[in-house]
Amino acid sequence: MKAKPSRSLLAISTTALALPGIAIADAPPVNSSLSYQVSNYKEDNLTREESPFGDLGRYDIDVHQFQFISPIGRNFSLQVDANYEDLSGASPWFTTLSPSGSPIVNLSGASGIEDSRSELSVGTRYYLENGSIGGNIGYSEENDYRATYGGISAERHFNNDLTTVSISLSYSSDDIFPTDAEIFNRVISEDKSSTSAAINISQIINQVSTFQTAFSITEQSGFLTDPYKLIDTRPDNKTQIAWSNSYRRYIRGSNAAWHVNYRFYHDDFGVTSHTADMSWHQNFGNTIQVIPMLRYYNQSAADFFTNVDDFSRPATDFQSSDYRLSAFGAISAGLTIKTTVGDWDATVTGERYLANEKYSAFSVSQPSAALVRYFRVSLGLDFSF
Amino acid sequence: MTPPLRHFSFNAMGSHCEIQFFDDSRIYAKRLAKKLADEASRLENKYSRFKSDSFLSQINAQAGAKNGIEIDQETKLLFDHALTCYEQSEGLFDITSGRLSRIWNFKGGQIPDQKLIASALNNTGFEKLSWHQSKLLIPEGMEIDFGGIVKEYAADSLARLARTSGCNSGLLNLGGDFSVIGPMPEQKSWPIGITQPDSTGSIMATVNLSNGGLASSGDYERFFFFEGERYSHILNPTTGWPSKGLRAVSVASHLCTVAGSMASIAMLKSESDGIQWLTDSGLPHVYMKQDGSIGGPS
Repeated sequence: MKAKPSRSLLAISTTALALPGIAIADAPPVNSSLSYQVSNYKEDNLTREESPFGDLGRYDIDVHQFQFISPIGRNFSLQVDANYEDLSGASPWFTTLSPSGSPIVNLSGASGIEDSRSELSVGTRYYLENGSIGGNIGYSEENDYRATYGGISAERHFNNDLTTVSISLSYSSDDIFPTDAEIFNRVISEDKSSTSAAINISQIINQVSTFQTAFSITEQSGFLTDPYKLIDTRPDNKTQIAWSNSYRRYIRGSNAAWHVNYRFYHDDFGVTSHTADMSWHQNFGNTIQVIPMLRYYNQSAADFFTNVDDFSRPATDFQSSDYRLSAFGAISAGLTIKTTVGDWDATVTGERYLANEKYSAFSVSQPSAALVRYFRVSLGLDFSF
Repeated sequence: MTPPLRHFSFNAMGSHCEIQFFDDSRIYAKRLAKKLADEASRLENKYSRFKSDSFLSQINAQAGAKNGIEIDQETKLLFDHALTCYEQSEGLFDITSGRLSRIWNFKGGQIPDQKLIASALNNTGFEKLSWHQSKLLIPEGMEIDFGGIVKEYAADSLARLARTSGCNSGLLNLGGDFSVIGPMPEQKSWPIGITQPDSTGSIMATVNLSNGGLASSGDYERFFFFEGERYSHILNPTTGWPSKGLRAVSVASHLCTVAGSMASIAMLKSESDGIQWLTDSGLPHVYMKQDGSIGGPS
């Protein structure tokens, strides 16, 4: 009889030792990660109706993005980002009226543009008791454009870490030196600068939902005109404000999460935009996540937007036929599939974007003939070690 | 130089929880404490009987369902451990007795109707559970309660997590269930005071732990007197009535989970059988008898 309890202890110890929190070592903390993403962004060609003469091919851009994040000691982290973009195609050069009276687009150059952009940025963060402070600097260069930028940010947790407030400041100094400036009578060399401040508040509402709101203001000054357009004159100061909101909710029964976002934007060129999107993050087991996404975008036109360039007006008058300053609506739909295999994460994304003045929530008096439709596909790989 | 002692507390599993460990970096300490509190809250959210959205509540809601409910590996292993406890205690430690604790109202101080007790006993019995591959089939009316297992498991699990996160000197206390992360500097043991069950918190014994865990079970948390008789919340699932064995037991073992299971079973036995069970286990322990006397190997 006496032997039984010790056998009991052995039996009880055996099943206790099999419990996962006791038996299986937790994965070591993720120390460093290396990511690579390749994307292709391809704008649909214009139709002959939109552009009766010349090239119809628009931008086709390949983007390669590398990122390395690593802790340094216990309190620092380092992040290095490197991007390379390869761009070809053409962009709208000027707009005129067709014989039937509708605006038509002329794309730049018969053979289009070939350009590439390289960018490197380095950032670090120092983690404090209740938050962190960080900074980054970066440099970006292409044939006709150079940007040097930097930023600082600070984050603090409150309310038992349920609330996080972060503020950030950034500054960018850009030089513009258009190609073939003398041939096309473009500006030789110009510059602009951009200063931005943002505040972001995140709140964990309960175990399954979070809310985030952010407000930012950006002040741009200098040469804000597009030098590649035949006619384009814009003010040399621009103030932009943006208010972004994000709500996420995990649906336990479905093992999925809703992400709903809304963004309001306004600038003193006169553009006001609203963006609403939602995505459903469906998990299948622990290794596969499928994310369908829908987005709706609506913007008003800049005060000086014209869908037909007016060659009769003085060059000092503000005007631009840049489709990005026109009133339009846009719908995009995407699908992302993420999978985890060991230390590797793979992400595949496909997105279709259609901009059209007909999608606008408001009536559009001057529709642009150059609105963009594009496909974007990307493949990303992350490795943690 | 000895690194400073860091001390954090949080509430989880209906208890006050404390983490203390030695580490030079305040920031690292804070991050580790958060990580451990997150793990405690994960387990609470999964296994709390009092949270309607916990996985355990989902399991209980499926009682009587013909197709059963899919059980993940962690939960399956907890059931396996519970089965061992059930077998080794000859049916005294039974996680299927959740219905029984519902009918005994310790706040009201009333003895339930014998018919109610009989009906609750009808809905109790680990052997009534059945498995179909990874699906668990629970008979209608039965309620699972992981009390006596999950908090102790959480203590071990958090200690393990702390060690794999690089902490090698610390102690966790989840509402009286202790688990050692690692000994104090210079390999010293952690002194743990075990309080008197029925008094103002005076210490009835001190146990020195350099590894493993210590768990306590007592009838002092909830009980009532009815017609001069003391009824504790430790319910015997074979009779449906409160156990009349030891009043409090603390056991130390290489794992808090094991200590907790051993202590709970000791409490469910008669006083003499409980003491025998503890003695035979060979584990360090302290107990208090019904008459208030304290015993255990010195």
